[in-house]
Amino acid sequence: MPSNPRVLKNVERALNRYKGYNISFEVRDGIVYLYGRVKSYDEWVDVGLRVGKVKGVEGVVNKIVWEGFPWDKVRDREVRRRRVYEENVNRVIGRYDVVVIGGGVTGTAIARELTKFQVTVALVEKAPDVAVGATKANNGMIHAGVEPPRNTLKRKLNVKGCLMYERWAEELGFSFKRIGSLWLITPRTLASFKKFIPEPFYKVVLKYLLPYAIVLKGRLNSVKGLRVVRGRKIFEMEPNAVKDALAAVYVPWTAIVDPYEVAIALAENALENGAVIYTNAEVVGFIKEGDRIKGVVTSRGTLLCRYVVNAAGVYADEIAEMAGSPEYTIHPRKGVILLFHKSTGPLVKHCLAEIILPMHPRTKGGGINPTVHGNVMWGPTATETEDKEDTSVDKEDIEILLNKYSTILESFPVEKLIRYFAGVRAATFTEDFVIRPAKWVSNLLHVAGIQSPGLASAPAIAEYAVERLREMGLELRERPDFNPRRKPLRTIRDAGLEEIDQLVKVDSRWGNVVCGCEMVTELEVVEAIRRGAKTLDAIKRRTRAGMGECQGSRCILRLAEILSRELGVTFSELLKEEGELFDGFVRGESP
Amino acid sequence: MVVIGGGPSGLAASVKLEEKGYDVTILESERELGGILMQCIHDGFGTKLFNEAFSGPEFACKFIDRVRDLDVEYFTNTFVKSVKVGSSLKEVVALNRQGVLKLSCRAIVFATGCRERTPFEIKVGGTRPAGVYTAGMVQRLVNVYGVLPGKKVLIVGGGDVGMIVARHLLLEGVEEVTIVFPEAWFAGLARNVQQCVLDFGIPFKPRTVVKEIVGKERVDGAVLVNVDEQWKPIEGTEVFHPCDTIIFSVGLIPNSSQLEEMGAEIDPRTRGPVVNEYFETSLKGVFAVGNLVTVFDYVDDAVETAFLAAEGVEKYLQGEERREKPTPLSPGKYLRLMVPHRVEWADGRDVVAFFRSSVEKENCWIVAKDGSGGEIFRTLKRYVRPTLLERLEIHRDLVDKAGRVVVDAE
Ligand SMILES: Cc1cc2nc3c(=O)[nH]c(=O)nc-3n(C[C@H](O)[C@H](O)[C@H](O)COP(=O)(O)OP(=O)(O)OC[C@H]3O[C@@H](n4cnc5c(N)ncnc54)[C@H](O)[C@@H]3O)c2cc1C
Ligand SMILES: Cc1cc2nc3c(=O)[nH]c(=O)nc-3n(C[C@H](O)[C@H](O)[C@H](O)COP(=O)(O)OP(=O)(O)OC[C@H]3O[C@@H](n4cnc5c(N)ncnc54)[C@H](O)[C@@H]3O)c2cc1C
Repeated sequence: MPSNPRVLKNVERALNRYKGYNISFEVRDGIVYLYGRVKSYDEWVDVGLRVGKVKGVEGVVNKIVWEGFPWDKVRDREVRRRRVYEENVNRVIGRYDVVVIGGGVTGTAIARELTKFQVTVALVEKAPDVAVGATKANNGMIHAGVEPPRNTLKRKLNVKGCLMYERWAEELGFSFKRIGSLWLITPRTLASFKKFIPEPFYKVVLKYLLPYAIVLKGRLNSVKGLRVVRGRKIFEMEPNAVKDALAAVYVPWTAIVDPYEVAIALAENALENGAVIYTNAEVVGFIKEGDRIKGVVTSRGTLLCRYVVNAAGVYADEIAEMAGSPEYTIHPRKGVILLFHKSTGPLVKHCLAEIILPMHPRTKGGGINPTVHGNVMWGPTATETEDKEDTSVDKEDIEILLNKYSTILESFPVEKLIRYFAGVRAATFTEDFVIRPAKWVSNLLHVAGIQSPGLASAPAIAEYAVERLREMGLELRERPDFNPRRKPLRTIRDAGLEEIDQLVKVDSRWGNVVCGCEMVTELEVVEAIRRGAKTLDAIKRRTRAGMGECQGSRCILRLAEILSRELGVTFSELLKEEGELFDGFVRGESP
Repeated sequence: MVVIGGGPSGLAASVKLEEKGYDVTILESERELGGILMQCIHDGFGTKLFNEAFSGPEFACKFIDRVRDLDVEYFTNTFVKSVKVGSSLKEVVALNRQGVLKLSCRAIVFATGCRERTPFEIKVGGTRPAGVYTAGMVQRLVNVYGVLPGKKVLIVGGGDVGMIVARHLLLEGVEEVTIVFPEAWFAGLARNVQQCVLDFGIPFKPRTVVKEIVGKERVDGAVLVNVDEQWKPIEGTEVFHPCDTIIFSVGLIPNSSQLEEMGAEIDPRTRGPVVNEYFETSLKGVFAVGNLVTVFDYVDDAVETAFLAAEGVEKYLQGEERREKPTPLSPGKYLRLMVPHRVEWADGRDVVAFFRSSVEKENCWIVAKDGSGGEIFRTLKRYVRPTLLERLEIHRDLVDKAGRVVVDAE
């Protein structure tokens, strides 16, 4: 397709700021390819974002390098991939109608959606478990869809996905609470604009104008039911809200889930319905025939296939490039979250935020929300990061969060902080979900750029993706024997004493509490392993063992003992997530 | 009578109570009695109580043997799920491999010890890979499972535990151990500095903390940074220290969650329950002893609190008279913490208190004053410092006369 001259001109204009830089570009079928050199990583992001905003641009592939570009790392990665490719390209281990790449909530949802039809499905994940990417490190909030810009795919799928969650939760047996959110408007909300607004109007704007503007934004986004709350009503809903809150917008649809539980449930249900999940299977390349992919080459062997779904999170751009259809570059955006002890749960009833305009560059939205397990989270931040796997947390991030959200609640015991972590959002420069057939590979579907609200949108993303596959020629006949239900892992945490006693009488392992903080028994751990957990963190995600105030210092060895017994391996072979937990035996002895 | 926790304090309380003729049941969550002592195979336990330096398990056995001799009922591998406190009867619900255990009792002694402070609680930055552990867990890993945590170890914390673990790991075969700590010198006992660190030539870095943990899957190292006297990092002093294991030995925190949930008052300084002179919590008939109250350096002192609580249980059950208004006992400006928090019984023995100073000082006067600032008592301590828990005895009649008592270092 010839390039639209208007797009060309607008891209050129967007690059104006970098005149002295010798940046060149070309446009192919709506995709802009950028070349050249900038001074810093920040500039690299900035250039990409400027071009991404240009109307008519469907994707930005940013080939610009910055000073200090990690050439070595890129080369090492290429060499490694090539070696693994050579080792596995001739080892065919399976043949499937569809291969889904990536075991996050997106990939598992699509795989499960496909098992509703008479097609064979494989999911490949590079880690030893599913849900190890962004899916394990987010707020677990199911947003209603007020925030995304109106003309985005994000908005459409978010609004739809949010309302599909009751059904998912019921079928898949995961915890789900539609608690609603409350966005507080306080004297700080427009503090930066105060000098432009005459004093008598300031409060009027805050109390009467701004909240309705937000309700209107919701309505424009097709989110109905937003309500403005003022005065005593705010504190009836959220007793611990900051006392100087002037008004609040209540969003009834916001919900919370445990995000890895959702992905694990999807994976288990997909397995139950015949999908095959390959863990420890990193995709390193493809076997192509013309413009079609014939096989997906992984570190465990090659899977022949008719269709491929690229849901590889922050690596989706590299997968697209390996397949021969580079259409976007991911610029990873890190988010840090603080987690507080369960005893703080009763202090927070809704997902809370204080509206501050303009938004803080390093946190954007964010706020305080309860989790389905009764903890409280503060966060996230938003920082551009070079490294796709950079989940490190700066002390500074912690302080920023503690500071920034300290004005949402009247009081909060911040010393109850028990953990912090970070996740990386897979943002593209067009800042929208990219769910469409590849432009230059006929049987590849991109499901990329799934940043927030990717979790909230997941049910709708799955349906939408499967619809695109149908359009691409995959014939989908419903399976009469599809079983939508997945049994949750049973726990005694909230069970009655009679029930617990009976369980113990049937199997004494129900009576062996291995994690005291979260009350997890040996049987739950064994069952998690039976369902596929192979690492300590996989057990943790399924049972919550190690998630309490002692952060595993008391239970990790009991878990290691059970894991080593059930898998029949020694302590030194056990993994945390992907790294080895321990070394060998003391003084070289064996047991 | 139910005693929760079968460490030295719980065992001591049980033995004393059984000797007094009460019917005691001990509930212990681990698979054996003895508490953290069972993983402390170094010696130094019992110097005050028995005038001898036993290893941890040896010391514990003194009490375990007594428990067996007296035929005290005990359940190991038993997890206390909930405790309900009625006006006179209390109900403990526990769970073990035989089923749910419901015990009604007239008094409860909590002796659940402490847990280790995690790296998160001191806000260490960086990643969260495999290879980051706490000291007590590593002790158990090595002693009970015979497994080493790694090859090149960095130990964070210059207290006794950190030093003991450092020597232990070196003896058991790790290749390299380094200790870092924020103070100017080791916080632990001089004996341990000599015998654990200097004698073995273990490298150490004072005024140094871990700024960031580095490594994706397994630890690759740590970014160390120097700190000033206020423990504030000094910019520009960062160095990368390669290692595959980082062990945090950065303090212990009382296991008081269950008591807190039951509504017992908690002292933010000790993070244990608020107790009176017989180690009764703010819930009547519910006692708390040992490391659950505050972390003891000497097991002998922990055991003493258990003996006091046993006497308290007796007073409680016999309905002895309490004061109309308890006399509050509090630490002054230069003390970091102090237990007990009040004198509540009308009569009894002299008040035994434990405190930690927030300053380091030789020949230091410890002074008790009444509510209006009048001095009621003073005693000289040869050497006080934050890392030493000091014991103090105050005459009961002196307390009787004061409306409140504030103890401070001078
Ligand atoms: C801090 C933070 C907070 C957030 N909060 C929310 C929120 O509250 N609500 C919400 O809706 N969204 C939120 N999001 C966004 C949400 O987490 C993501 O949209 C969602 O998890 C994306 O899921 P995914 O499956 O697309 O990606 P991931 O979960 O990242 O999954 C991608 C998977 O692909 C695998 N993979 C990569 N490369 C390969 C390869 N070569 N071969 C095989 N496998 C590969 C990875 O190992 C990974 O498991 C948040 C994100 C962050 C970072
Ligand atoms: C590494 C180290 C070195 C030390 N070195 C010395 C030394 O050299 N000399 C010295 O005198 N002192 C030393 N000490 C101090 C001494 O060990 C302690 O003061 C003493 O162990 C405290 O005993 P405790 O009974 O209060 O706690 P613990 O020994 O911790 O016992 C508490 C028990 O309660 C159990 N428990 C907890 N929660 C529950 C529950 N919900 N239900 C049932 N059971 C529960 C635990 O499993 C544990 O067995 C050392 C301590 C450590 C950690």
